[in-house]
Amino acid sequence: VDAVAASEMFYKLLIVVFLAVSLQGAPADGQKKKETLLSEKVSQMMEWTSKRAVIRLNGEKFRRLIRAPPRNYSVIIMFTALQPQRQCGVCKQADEEYQILANSWRYSNAFTNRIFFAMVDFDEGSDVFQMLNMNSAPTFINFPAKGKPKRADTYELQVRGFAAEQLARWVADRTDVHIRVIRPPNYAGPLMLGLLLAFIGSLAYVRRNNLEFLFNKNVWAFSALCFVLIMTSGQMWNHIRGPPYAHKNPNTGQVSYIHGSSQAQFVAETHIVLLFNAAVTLGIVLLHEAATSDLDVGKRKIMCVAGIGLVVLFFSWLLSIFRAKYHGYPYSFLLG
Amino acid sequence: MAEHHTASDCKHKTSSNAGGSVSGNGRPNSPAGCGGSGGLSGGLTQPAGWQSLLSFTILFLAWLAGFSSRLFAVIRFESIIHEFDPWFNYRSTHHLTTNGFYEFLNWFDERAWYPLGRIVGGTVYPGLMVTAGLIHYILNLLHVTVHIRDVCVFLAPVFSGLTAISTFLLTRELWNQGAGLLAACFIAIVPGYISRSVAGSFDNEGIAIFALQFTYYLWVKSVKTGSVFWAIGCCLSYFYMVSAWGGYVFIINLIPLHVFALLLMQRFSRRLYIAYSTFYIVGLVLSMQIPFVGFQPIRTSEHMAAAGVFALLQAYAFLQYLKDRLTRQEFQTLFFLGVSLAAGVVFLTVIYLTYTGESHLPVMLRYAKIHIPIIASVSEHQPTTWVSFFFDLHILVCTFPAGLWFCIKNINDERVFVALYAISAVYFAGVMVRLMLTLTPVVCMLSAIAFSSVFEHYLGDDMKRENPPAEDSKQDRPEEGLGPNIKSIVTMLMLMLLMMFAVHCTWVTSNAYSSPSVVLASYNHDGSRNILDDFREAYYWLRQNTDEHARVMSWWDYGYQIAGMANRTTLVDNNTWNNSHIALVGKAMSSNESAAYEIMKSLDVDYVLIIFGGVIGYSGDDINKFLWMVRIAEGEHPKDIRESDYFTPQGEFRVDKAGSPTLLNCLMYKMSYYRFGPYTRLDFRTPPGFDRTRNAEIGNKDIRLKHLEEAFTSEHWLVRIYRVKKQENRQALDHKLRNIAAKQKYTSKKVLPSLFH
Repeated sequence: VDAVAASEMFYKLLIVVFLAVSLQGAPADGQKKKETLLSEKVSQMMEWTSKRAVIRLNGEKFRRLIRAPPRNYSVIIMFTALQPQRQCGVCKQADEEYQILANSWRYSNAFTNRIFFAMVDFDEGSDVFQMLNMNSAPTFINFPAKGKPKRADTYELQVRGFAAEQLARWVADRTDVHIRVIRPPNYAGPLMLGLLLAFIGSLAYVRRNNLEFLFNKNVWAFSALCFVLIMTSGQMWNHIRGPPYAHKNPNTGQVSYIHGSSQAQFVAETHIVLLFNAAVTLGIVLLHEAATSDLDVGKRKIMCVAGIGLVVLFFSWLLSIFRAKYHGYPYSFLLG
Repeated sequence: MAEHHTASDCKHKTSSNAGGSVSGNGRPNSPAGCGGSGGLSGGLTQPAGWQSLLSFTILFLAWLAGFSSRLFAVIRFESIIHEFDPWFNYRSTHHLTTNGFYEFLNWFDERAWYPLGRIVGGTVYPGLMVTAGLIHYILNLLHVTVHIRDVCVFLAPVFSGLTAISTFLLTRELWNQGAGLLAACFIAIVPGYISRSVAGSFDNEGIAIFALQFTYYLWVKSVKTGSVFWAIGCCLSYFYMVSAWGGYVFIINLIPLHVFALLLMQRFSRRLYIAYSTFYIVGLVLSMQIPFVGFQPIRTSEHMAAAGVFALLQAYAFLQYLKDRLTRQEFQTLFFLGVSLAAGVVFLTVIYLTYTGESHLPVMLRYAKIHIPIIASVSEHQPTTWVSFFFDLHILVCTFPAGLWFCIKNINDERVFVALYAISAVYFAGVMVRLMLTLTPVVCMLSAIAFSSVFEHYLGDDMKRENPPAEDSKQDRPEEGLGPNIKSIVTMLMLMLLMMFAVHCTWVTSNAYSSPSVVLASYNHDGSRNILDDFREAYYWLRQNTDEHARVMSWWDYGYQIAGMANRTTLVDNNTWNNSHIALVGKAMSSNESAAYEIMKSLDVDYVLIIFGGVIGYSGDDINKFLWMVRIAEGEHPKDIRESDYFTPQGEFRVDKAGSPTLLNCLMYKMSYYRFGPYTRLDFRTPPGFDRTRNAEIGNKDIRLKHLEEAFTSEHWLVRIYRVKKQENRQALDHKLRNIAAKQKYTSKKVLPSLFH
């Protein structure tokens, strides 16, 4: 009996030990599995990031890498619609800025696997859009390493704009990862300058026996006038502020070339003003030429009339445009 | 010159209050001769005496027209200093006249930038104060007793006349006397210059444009004559300019540019050498005498172009000297080597300085726009639209390219200068609205040249008609003439354009540039006028009712006015030299009350002053400026203040119920709308607590202040002043009062401590 009891005890003990071992082993095993899954995911993300600064996700990848729980990295996702048929102009601009931000991070010294940049295109992952109940693009959402996205994890595009610097500040705010935005230098300016210099140099070389054109006053006067007209028509404002060329009313389809307020202007408008200013200048020059040139009287009379016509007509036209923009201005000349 | 008379006539018609309506009706015939006289030598028919009398009269009338058109504000309101910066200038001028020049130079102003203070003597351009002080001194010496305030108020209009005269002189050197007179008339009334020189606008620019034009005149004169006398005169004028305005940098770059261009055009001459060498050396030494400028002329990149051109000029002159001593062959090699070496060195220096120098203007502007909200927040640092050009210059902006064309077609040494002046000034004016001021004089000169060269041929036809028999047949063809009809039509139309210009100038001056902004006016339906004098009311309240050493916190815009009118210590003012200090004030304004109280305690604030326009619909109030406060505060304290917190989720800035809770509970909101909600009902169409500026019913009507109490609110609620309560001697407990339920019969000792957790 004792032996039986002993063997029974032994078996019980064995079972207990086994159970204990198996019970202890089960969580350890799950942990390991989780870690391998996580490291797999991270290495996957790293691999994609090394190929492209912004990872393209579809519905399946989104669920596996972003939605599924084990995650120790934050992901910034741009939800967008870049296909041409979607006709989303803002998306393209936002995408450019986003690429700059992602590349700045990708190639910075502080690059770690704590944060990734990804994007979901509507035409590749419309199910994601549905899942998140999203109906506008572009949208930037931060999926933090722990927990679900909060309200502040959605970037306020309307308020802050989509400049890469603003995005970087938001990212720093949400994830404590500070990214210094480095814009790729714009080579267009220096290149144009170089081309221009080369052009002038070659011109000078080709005509090296006859450099008279350098002393041609007309050329110099003309270029000085061009510069002055460009400046007085507000092209510098356009350059800094970047207004649209003209405004098309979405309801009526009417295109307006003149901005209604005196504080702003369209590009088209500045071109018109440039032409008007040039016409008035031309008129004055014609008037002067008519009085001094050696041509016969008939031609000079025509020149004179054309000159005064240009001056008066275009100036009054300019005045009427000004009057339309500057509300409450009382004066006009010839034209209402 | 008839157009001048129309100009001054219009002026007197519209500002008939200004005094006698002087009109030269009898003269319109004779100026025709004057306009053409530059080109024609009418020695016999037009005695020189007549010409100078006429010029003198026209200049005098231009001065008078310019002076009187700047008086709108004085006539409508009173003789008062305008806006913000002039109040500081006035205060320091007052200090200068009461304490003397040396005391002024050593002045440490402990009333500004509390607790830092400001060394005034070393951080201002003293030219303005010294000029006003000197005039005051001389007048008092002659027993003409005027208050220093009146000297300050009328300084800019008086100097506008001097500007007109120096513009006349400069244009006469460039073209002829007729163009000069036209230019003087233009600059006397053009809005681009009036905007900075109305009566009461006691600011640096008012005298600096005169100094600028006069320096240029003397420079052109010294290049023309090559005499050291004129060059020294130019230096003295330059010294005055340096003492008056930071814009002197424009001169010290434009003159070297002129010299450089002349060298490139092979127009080097002894005259040029003497003029520039003298100007550079003496001008450099003189400019370094101004404490605020100090050693900048030999250290900073803006001044390096002048030094480079000086070296280049010496090298060029040396080569010229060698040319006389060496054979042609030797010289050519040497010349080629020398020039390429010098050009290379200068080029590399310029490149180096542009890329390392701290203030290349457009680069700086672009940098500032992104990084420093305080610069972006100032409206005059914006680029210029074509409307601003047209508004400030009217017909001149269309015609001055023609003047530039004529100048370049008939180029000579001094016309190179005016062309460069026009091109550089138009660039800077395009970048920044404020620099329209430096463009205006050159636009006036070039337009005058354009108009003058038209009038010269279309007004003076009778003169030419009389001459033909004496001339030979070669000149017969141009003498055929365009016929009197065409000529008179052209003349008439051009004169009408000029008349439009004069009318426009008057209208703009009257409507846009003549508001003191210290006193506001509103007009009723029947045209009668209400004066809103809330600002001065509040400032005098501060002056009379607060401790002499009380410290007043307000947004920086009002710092100079508080110091000038209330004579109280301020924390920040319009000098804006210390961004972090301003950000601290911004943070206090945009935090909630208890957080703000901590900041105000640490800054020893006694009173807080805010501007609130909700009652009368004044749009320039602090709530409308509030986002800039938030932005500036966020720049320095990004952890505590976030701009996005002040917007609704839709990204709107709203003060009504939909507004963000952070906004509705911040100090600025509370102070603005305290007592506004339930007690004020402005009229019966709107609900109580309706803000007229933002057209919204405010969102937080039940505002209670804990650490502040209302001290003063002006008549139209425009200015509100709050007193910061002193900390209580014993801190009140924030706990709830012990609340013992009535039902409880007994309290066991074990339960009791838990009540005090």
